[in-house]
Amino acid sequence: MNSKTKTLIAAGTVLTLALFGAALAMLVYYTPTEKSMGQIQKVFYIHLPVAINTFLACLVSFIASVGYLWTRRMSWDDLAASSAKVAVVLCSIVLLTGMIWGKAAWGQWWTWSPRLTFSLMLWLLYVVYLIIRNSIDSAPRRALISAVYSVIAFLDVPLVYLSARLMQDIHPQSIELEPAMKLTLLVWFIPVTLANAGMITLRYMLARAQAETAGQSPTDQQQPAIEPGSAQWHALLNGNGSTSDREVNK
Amino acid sequence: MRTTLSQILLLVGKDLRIEARSRQTLGLVITLGLLIVVVLGLGLGAEAAKGYSAMAVLWVAYLFSGVLCFEKTMAVERHEGAMAGLLLAPVDRGVIYLSKLIANLLMMLAVALVVTPAGVLFFSFDLSAAPLSFALIMGLGMLGVAAVGTLFAAVVSSTRLAGGLLAMVVFPVVLPVVIASTQLMLGIFRDGKELGGTGLAVLIAFDVIFVTVSWLVFEWILEP
Amino acid sequence: MRSIERSTSAQAAAAELAVHARNLRKVIDDRVILDDLGFAIPRGRYIALLGANGAGKSTLMRILSMLTPPSGGELSLFGQPLRSTSAGMRRRIGLISHQAMLYRDLSPRENLRLFGKLYGMRNADQRATQLLQLVNLADRADDPVKNFSRGMTQRTAIARALMHDPDLILADEPFAGLDAPSTHTVELLLDALNKSGRTILLANHDIEQSLRLAQQVLVLRRGKLVLDCPSSQVSAAEVLKEIGG
Repeated sequence: MNSKTKTLIAAGTVLTLALFGAALAMLVYYTPTEKSMGQIQKVFYIHLPVAINTFLACLVSFIASVGYLWTRRMSWDDLAASSAKVAVVLCSIVLLTGMIWGKAAWGQWWTWSPRLTFSLMLWLLYVVYLIIRNSIDSAPRRALISAVYSVIAFLDVPLVYLSARLMQDIHPQSIELEPAMKLTLLVWFIPVTLANAGMITLRYMLARAQAETAGQSPTDQQQPAIEPGSAQWHALLNGNGSTSDREVNK
Repeated sequence: MRTTLSQILLLVGKDLRIEARSRQTLGLVITLGLLIVVVLGLGLGAEAAKGYSAMAVLWVAYLFSGVLCFEKTMAVERHEGAMAGLLLAPVDRGVIYLSKLIANLLMMLAVALVVTPAGVLFFSFDLSAAPLSFALIMGLGMLGVAAVGTLFAAVVSSTRLAGGLLAMVVFPVVLPVVIASTQLMLGIFRDGKELGGTGLAVLIAFDVIFVTVSWLVFEWILEP
Repeated sequence: MRSIERSTSAQAAAAELAVHARNLRKVIDDRVILDDLGFAIPRGRYIALLGANGAGKSTLMRILSMLTPPSGGELSLFGQPLRSTSAGMRRRIGLISHQAMLYRDLSPRENLRLFGKLYGMRNADQRATQLLQLVNLADRADDPVKNFSRGMTQRTAIARALMHDPDLILADEPFAGLDAPSTHTVELLLDALNKSGRTILLANHDIEQSLRLAQQVLVLRRGKLVLDCPSSQVSAAEVLKEIGG
C-alpha cells in the first residue's frame, strides 16, 4: 500500500464520517417527528438505506463469485468474501433496527412478519457463507466451494422473499412520507452507500495485501539444500553446529 | 439419449444395490426420523403436540434424515476414490448428478413412508381432507431439498469438513421450501383452500432453479 | 533439458504418437504446477515418469486421463487434440492409480460390470470373468471388495482399468503399498500389456525398478521436464541427480 492510497483511504473515511454526522444532525434537528410512533420512527431512515445496501453487497458477492467461477482468479474470491462480510454486518443492522421498530410499533421485539423473517433468513444465508469459508483450509477449495454456495444463496434470495410474503403481514407496506421525510431518507442513502463501498474496498485491499505477502513463499528465497555426506551435513548430524561454519569456510 | 437413460439407471441401480448390500443408510435415517418425531412430541407435551404442529415436526425429521442420507450416499463415492472411476468413464457429469439426486430422493421417500404415518398418528393430524395434495407438496419440497443437498454433499465430502456442516449449509437454503409447504398446508387443511397460488409457484420454482443450477455447477465442484 | 534421443524425422506421422504434448501448462490458483512441458510418446512404448513429490507427476497423469483440463498448450492423444467432451477418447485411456477407484460394498465382478457398461460394453460379463481370471481373483469374484487385502484390491483395480481394453495405460504409483509377490504380478502384467502393443506411462518412485521396466524415462522437477531419454542410456545415480535439488 503506497502513501497515495493511504491518503485516499483517510480522505474517504473522513468524508463518510462527516456525511454521517451531517445526516445525523439533519435527523435530529430538521426531520419532523412522526405522530403515532414518535422519535423511534426515525430509525426507519437508517433501516431502509442499510437494507438496500445489504442487497447491493450481496449482489457484489454474487457477481464476484460468478467471476471467480469464470476466471478462477483469487482476487475475485477476495472480493466475494469481503462483500459477504459487509453484507452480514449490514444485515445485522437491518435486523436490529427492524426489531427496535417492531418493539415500538407492536410492543414485541420479534414477530414472524414477512420482512423480519426475510431479513433473518438472509442473515442466516450469509452467516453460513462465512462459516463455510472458515471451515476449509485449502485456499482453492475454499474459493470454489464458497463461490458455488454464494451463487446458490443469491439465487435463493428471491425465493426467500416470495415465501416470506406468504406469511401474515403486519409490516407497513408503503408509508406516506412528507417531503421533509423523503429528503432525509434520500440524504441517508449517501453516507450508508459510501460506507458500504468503503468497507468492501478496504476489506478487499486488506485481503489482497495479505495474499501478496503470502505469495512470497519461502521457496523464493530458499537456501541451498545441504548436500548429504558433506562436512556440514555431518556436523549437523552430530549436533555441533558451531563447528560447521569453520569446516565449510576452510 | 438412450445411453444417458441407461447410464442413469445403471448408476441409480448401483446406489440401491450398495444400500441393499451394506444396509448402512436406511435403517439409520429412518430411526433418526422416528426419534425426532418422538422427541418433539414429548417436548411439546400433550397440549401442543397436536394437529398442525405435525407439519413442523415432519419437516425437521425429513431435513435431518435427508442430510444424513446425502452424506452417506456420497461417502460411498469417496471411499477408495470410486468417484474418480466414474469421472474417467465416458459419462456426462450431469448424469452423475442426476443419478445421485434420484437415489437420494428414493431414500428420502423411503424415510417419508415410515416417518409420515408416525407423525400423523402421534400428532393426530387429519390428512383425509386432501392426502394427494399433501403428498404432492411434500414430494415437491423433498425434490428441492435433495437437489441442493446432493450438490453440497459432493462439495462437503470432497473436503475434510466436520460432520454437521452439511446440515448448516443446506438448512438456510431450503427455508423457502419449508415456509411455502407449511403455508400451503395451512391453506388447505385449516382454511379449506385449493392447492395453488404463490406457495406452489415458490415450490416449483425452487425445484426448477436448483436442479438446473446444481446440474450445471456439479462439474466444477468435482474437479479438485 | 537434456534430450539424447530426438525424433528421427520431423514428419513422423502424428498417429504414430500415443501422446504428444507441446508447451503444456497447468496453473492451479496462481501456482504453476506444470510449466511448458513438451514430449512425445510413440505408440507401444513403455515409459517411466519420475520426480520428487510435488514435481507434478500426478497432475500430468490427471491431465492425460482427462480428469482435469490443461491450462495451456497443446496436447494430442493418438493424433487427435484432446477435448474433455470426447467420449471416444476416454475409451482409449485406462488409469491405474494408488486409489483403487472401486465401490467397497460391491464385488469385483459387480464393479467390473458396472464400469464396463458405463464404457458401453456389450460383453461386460464375459470380459469381467476373463479379467478376474487373469488377475487371479476368480475364486473371490463375488466377495465384497472391502474384505480384500491391499494386494487383492490393487489387482481388482487393475482389472477395472483394463476392462474397456485401453490403448494407453496410465499407471500412477501402482506399486504403492504392495508386497513383493503382488509387485511382481503387477510388473509382469504391465510388461505383458506393453508386449501386446499398449502404450504404458508409469509414474513411479523406485528409480532402479523404473529403469529396469521402462524403455524411456521422463523426469519432472518442479513442473519442468528435465530429462527425456532411453532408460538404457542413464544410470540410477544420474536420474536421482536430475530428480533432486
